[in-house]
Amino acid sequence: MSVQSPNVIFAKAVPDAAESSHRLAVWLVCCVALTVLLTCCSLGVGTSSFGTSWHWLLSPDAQSSVVLWEIRLPRTIGAWFAGALLGLGGAIAQGLFRNPLAEPFLLGTASGAALGVAVSLIAIDSSVGELAWAGKLGMTGTAFIGSCAAIALTITLSRGVLQTSSLLLAGIVVTFVLGAITQLALLAKPELWRDMQTFLLGSTALLSWSSAALLGGVFFVCLIPAALLSRGLDALTLGEDTAQTLGLSLPFVRLTLLGVLSFGTAAVVGQVGIVGFVGLIAPHLVRETLSVNHRQLLIGAPLCGGALLQAADLLSRWLVSPAEYPVGAVTACIGGSYLVLLLWRRSRNG
Amino acid sequence: MGAGACGLMAVTALCAAPGPTHAEGSVIRDDLGRDIAFSRSPQRVITLLPSATETVCALGACDRLVATDRYSGWPAQVRTLPKTGGLVDPAIELIVGLRPDLVLASRSQRSLDRLRELGVPVFALNSDRYADIGRTLRTVGRILGLPARAEELARSIDGDVRRIGGEEAARLRSDSPGGGAASAPPSVYFEVDRGPYAAGPLSFIGELLGFLGARNIVTPDLGAFPQLNPEYVVRHNPDVIFISAAEGSHLAQRPGWDTIRAVREGRLCSFAADTIDTIVRPGPRVAEGMRALAECLDRQAPRAAGVQAAGAT
Amino acid sequence: MAEALPVPEPFSALSCRQLTVGYGPRTVLDGVSLDIATGHWTAVVGPNGCGKSTLLRALTGLVTPRSGSIQLHGRDLSAWPRRERARRLAWLAQATGATDLTALEVVGLGRFAHSGWLMSRKAEDDAAVRRAMLATGSLAWAQRRLSSLSGGERQRVYLARALAVEARVLLLDEPTAHLDPPHQEDVVRLLRSQSHGCGVCVVSAIHDLSLALAADRLIVLGREGLVGHGTVRQALAGDWLSAAFDTRVEVIEHEGTLLWRPALEPERAGR
Repeated sequence: MSVQSPNVIFAKAVPDAAESSHRLAVWLVCCVALTVLLTCCSLGVGTSSFGTSWHWLLSPDAQSSVVLWEIRLPRTIGAWFAGALLGLGGAIAQGLFRNPLAEPFLLGTASGAALGVAVSLIAIDSSVGELAWAGKLGMTGTAFIGSCAAIALTITLSRGVLQTSSLLLAGIVVTFVLGAITQLALLAKPELWRDMQTFLLGSTALLSWSSAALLGGVFFVCLIPAALLSRGLDALTLGEDTAQTLGLSLPFVRLTLLGVLSFGTAAVVGQVGIVGFVGLIAPHLVRETLSVNHRQLLIGAPLCGGALLQAADLLSRWLVSPAEYPVGAVTACIGGSYLVLLLWRRSRNG
Repeated sequence: MGAGACGLMAVTALCAAPGPTHAEGSVIRDDLGRDIAFSRSPQRVITLLPSATETVCALGACDRLVATDRYSGWPAQVRTLPKTGGLVDPAIELIVGLRPDLVLASRSQRSLDRLRELGVPVFALNSDRYADIGRTLRTVGRILGLPARAEELARSIDGDVRRIGGEEAARLRSDSPGGGAASAPPSVYFEVDRGPYAAGPLSFIGELLGFLGARNIVTPDLGAFPQLNPEYVVRHNPDVIFISAAEGSHLAQRPGWDTIRAVREGRLCSFAADTIDTIVRPGPRVAEGMRALAECLDRQAPRAAGVQAAGAT
Repeated sequence: MAEALPVPEPFSALSCRQLTVGYGPRTVLDGVSLDIATGHWTAVVGPNGCGKSTLLRALTGLVTPRSGSIQLHGRDLSAWPRRERARRLAWLAQATGATDLTALEVVGLGRFAHSGWLMSRKAEDDAAVRRAMLATGSLAWAQRRLSSLSGGERQRVYLARALAVEARVLLLDEPTAHLDPPHQEDVVRLLRSQSHGCGVCVVSAIHDLSLALAADRLIVLGREGLVGHGTVRQALAGDWLSAAFDTRVEVIEHEGTLLWRPALEPERAGR
């Protein structure tokens, strides 16, 4: 047997950087193509048939322009950014807590936002003096503030960000407690339940250009620090001790990533309500098709999440046109089916 | 024609339904299909829903009420009665302790079985549509031993509603832009909740709007309360929008809604909480609700140039 | 096996003075003072629960001592900037779970302290990874996910990760865990070459006494605390192992190799 030099062995065993970049590039192109396709389909779906929409594109008039460019386009773009933020949040949560079932709402964000919305609805409905500020802020503002307050409460309860297990536990406690307070508040005004339900099931129906711009801005603000810290998440998979000895500052990484997660999720919840499963499924899809490496995961998960929510928005408008399903119900169906598929495959593989 | 006439025919059909004239020793079927026997007409009545309270009081039997639910506020004298709780959480102990011989509740209340087990006579009522108002009045009238009163009241309410509706419909037809027999009545959109959830022609609200001669942009095939794609409202460009005051001030912010005629010209109708109840929940005060709807519609509907709305300044 | 060469006064890369470490109310190490020499392989031995892991974790800086000081290359451990310390001191944990990263990515993480957040793959990083994987024989599964490897294969990848740091001080907690005998021998040879050949200060906690006796120096911990530290010969001369293990082990020399065996009761006459 000829003796090969170590360099040759290495070169054979290890694909060079170009090859893995090539794979990433192909994946990215596919994602972008899918997004463009979904955006175009979005323009054609709604209260008109494809034929009518195509006709509008060719010979626009005032009202159809409004429908296409003021309603459908910002809605689909806003949905993409919302899904991207949820996908990014899910990837960060799963990396930080090293748990494949983690999702962006696990620190109590959802119940905090719900409480904020309940307060706002009560303020609007009953014009109670002390709550007038809540009425002025509107549901978007109070949902955002409620989310942030819930996370602050979670971090305070777990006494800092050093222990992931206590953070998780505190998150569960906050979810239950704030949920109970919301229920109590709404007991006084049960007619507000339907408005709450609209929020709880999520809705992309009223996304405007300003919402899309806001979500887009938040997305880029969150993406940059997350992408920079992605290698730290990789190091964390080796264990917290090992990560520390590699030179990682755990409190810094945790605090920054939690901040990104909270801010991003709170912004999304304010604009579209509580849309589940996107944050859970998008990182899984990326891991299956691309890589577990966090640098690629934190780029891939937003792209995947964005396309997912765009598709869900499309379906919610198309299935019972001209009525709509709440987009959270559609993501639950898609997400639930995917999880069933995963379970089935796992049981088949033994 | 259309919705108004159908409603009219339904009411006429129900008016002709036969039944015993008094409650002594009678068995009456409630809206859950159970037959409830009454040996004598009840003297201690508890109501667990506001429309039942209003029905009992409209029949002149208000003094028979011993307790109501938390939300019953009309007439003023029921406000001093003990409250048994909300629509979903009635206080079982309180109800049983008051020894009622009749409890009027809605069909979907979970506590009915529990109360029945405890020996309390419970009568379930269902009120979704306009026709249910007359039917409930007559049924409760039979139970309380006031059938003649009930019949008279039902006819009078129906008469009022038909009159208000007919007058307004005629006025809108003649005054709408275009004028004459070929003109179209104003199109309306009634938003019930954020979502947006609209009231379709098959809902109670939709029926009232139909009596008034307004054209609902929601079609019957969409159901009673569909969650609409906001695009739909933009495309159908309603002339008048019925919405809560708080939401109404933000309508222009919804994408594309600033092109809707009703939003541009400020043709929005909002009602106070008390009036909203008469419009949203079928009950004996429906004529008040009709009046409010007619008045606002009259004020806000687009008119042909030079024509003043009746009573507008 | 050759006798250890006469070594000049060893330069101590890592040392501690009056180190007291505890968890909650329990004190594990009390007033321990040690000097750990560069270019030597020091093995930490002792019965279970006597503080081997704790000592290593304290020396790495993962556990804050209650009192006492630790010096790395002449400077207080906490005075080193985090990155610099990570470049000078590498650690291998005792038990780590599986991850879905590939072996190559895991070993590549060893270069974290050198290349930082942006992970630009430099030639010297590649070379270090290559050397580490060759040394541990883990190159064959560079593209495989760690969760698909066996325990022993995974251990070698983790070892490669620690080697890829190319630190001057290497602290290893049970480096031979999960490994079968031929690979245990590989590790011993590797640690020897690192310490003698590359001049790295190697400290390992090993509970297999035969392997530990292959080291240059021993730190013997007993139930009462530190029993002694010094060369292996000094340990045997001072009977430290018997003291630490309650006289239940004895060490014999066989054809130049030191072996231990349980100190069994002598057989009854006439059996």
